[in-house]
Amino acid sequence: MALLQVTHLQKHYGNQGKRIRAVDDVSLNLAAGEVLAFLGPNGAGKTTTIKMIAGLIVPDRGQVAVVGKNPHRDPSALRSLGAVLEGNRNLYWRLTPEENLEYFGVLRGLSAREARLRGRRLLERFELMHKRTTVVQQLSRGMQQKVAIAVALIHEPQLILLDEPTLGLDVEATQTVKRLVREIAAEGRGILLTTHQLDIAEELSDRVAVIRQGQIVAEKQTAELIQEFSSSAYRIELEQSIGVDRQAKLAQLGLEIDLSSQTLHLADTELLYAVLAILQPLPILRIERDRANLTDIFLQLVQEQASGEG
Amino acid sequence: MAKGKGMKAKRSTQVLDIFRLFLAEFKRAWIQFKRYPAESIGGVFIITSVFYGLFLSAQYIAGPIQFGDKLDSVIVGYLLWSLSIFVITDIAGTLQSEAQTGTLEQLFLTSFGARTLFLVRAIADLAIQLILLGVILSIIMVLTGRYLSFPIALILPLGTVLMGAYGLGFVMGGISLLFKRIQQVLAIFQFALLFLLTAPTEEWSGIGHIVGYFLPMSPGAGLLRNLMARDAGLNGGALAIALLNGAVYLTIGLLLFGWAERETKRRGKLGGY
Repeated sequence: MALLQVTHLQKHYGNQGKRIRAVDDVSLNLAAGEVLAFLGPNGAGKTTTIKMIAGLIVPDRGQVAVVGKNPHRDPSALRSLGAVLEGNRNLYWRLTPEENLEYFGVLRGLSAREARLRGRRLLERFELMHKRTTVVQQLSRGMQQKVAIAVALIHEPQLILLDEPTLGLDVEATQTVKRLVREIAAEGRGILLTTHQLDIAEELSDRVAVIRQGQIVAEKQTAELIQEFSSSAYRIELEQSIGVDRQAKLAQLGLEIDLSSQTLHLADTELLYAVLAILQPLPILRIERDRANLTDIFLQLVQEQASGEG
Repeated sequence: MAKGKGMKAKRSTQVLDIFRLFLAEFKRAWIQFKRYPAESIGGVFIITSVFYGLFLSAQYIAGPIQFGDKLDSVIVGYLLWSLSIFVITDIAGTLQSEAQTGTLEQLFLTSFGARTLFLVRAIADLAIQLILLGVILSIIMVLTGRYLSFPIALILPLGTVLMGAYGLGFVMGGISLLFKRIQQVLAIFQFALLFLLTAPTEEWSGIGHIVGYFLPMSPGAGLLRNLMARDAGLNGGALAIALLNGAVYLTIGLLLFGWAERETKRRGKLGGY
């Protein structure tokens, strides 16, 4: 059974007599141990979808099932879900990390003792023990975010929703959050992650779903999507220019190379070894397959759709 | 049989969970109370000044509700007034401040359900308020040498008034969820509260007397007047009506709050302020 099953979710809002389509027929699945990056421009419907999954916004149509239970009808579904919501503090700033963990632990159905024990383990694991008695207000943004993630984990939910977990964090804190996301997924929990930092999504996710104007425009395994958008061309980078002789030989193979250039682009992959034979023994700095990154893919997907509509 | 036992075990687990929630809410409120003394001392100072004034017979600061001239009655009148206002504004105030500080949506992620959570929280807040009032009153009694005696029976009608107050508190909470800023409504509501707690509906005759049974908190306030000002005993029938009145308003409040919660989630406006 999938941890999360979202089927045909729809949400419209009324604004000054107009109906605005926020989410239109969104379906998603998430399995245990999987990280799904949910990407889209601002206002595309990411947060609305996440809040519908968490039972905080009622959909017009469609179903949400968290471990088989509908959080809109059965509140016990919320025991299998933890969330760090964007634009929220998520924590009581006047309480310390350990007090927040204990309070939210009880709120999620634990005894105070169990919440304290688990809270302490999480604080140790998140390297926050030295700050356990400092009020959250006085912690750095990165530490606050770590405490918020710890609070989302206190009741050991199977599904974690992370809405922009690295927003506003410095490099070091971002690295820590990335490490935690990997660890949490390795424990067998499913993570639905939204982020504008596409390099992070590329690094962390097993699967990507791109949403635009309320509709999913692509949903694939991250590696598969990158493969699909990558060409099969090779790029060869040399330490020095090729010289006239080699330029002529390469021209015989149909490759037009600038004499001063130290980089070759090879679209016909069958020629690779023939080209390498010509280049021998010139020192090669790098040889790599042309690989798209998630940022290019995202922009292409989003712009493609926009121009299609225009 | 086994099913019945299972249900019973489930119910006792739920009661235990709710008691744990109460303790957690109490602890949370208490920590915040003592951690920010500037705010707490302000509240303690106001309460102390009012009670000290009352003990010095300056009855005019007792507020509009008085159950006779005796100090005991004046104090009970003031307690009823201040506790009712506290209860009625507490839930709406919590919702607004949590929306502002960005913790409201996390609260709605509880599997207890929002109504249970906010009722338990409001009871925990009231418990802290009562402890505070009790301590201040005790200190003032020792300092002034004037001692109060409350008939223990007044707890029951006070309970019915507070049930009605919680019902109205949930109505205000629901309005606050839907419309966010409701300070003006709360201010106007204090006038309605004044009428409800002071109108001597138990003395009205004919239709007015019957209408009095249906007004929120009014039957319980009438019983308190009988107990404190008229030295009358507690009438079982009247207490049952007051209890029913409190239970009905609490139920109405919880139902309206549930509807407002659903409607706010439908509009997608839960976290906004």
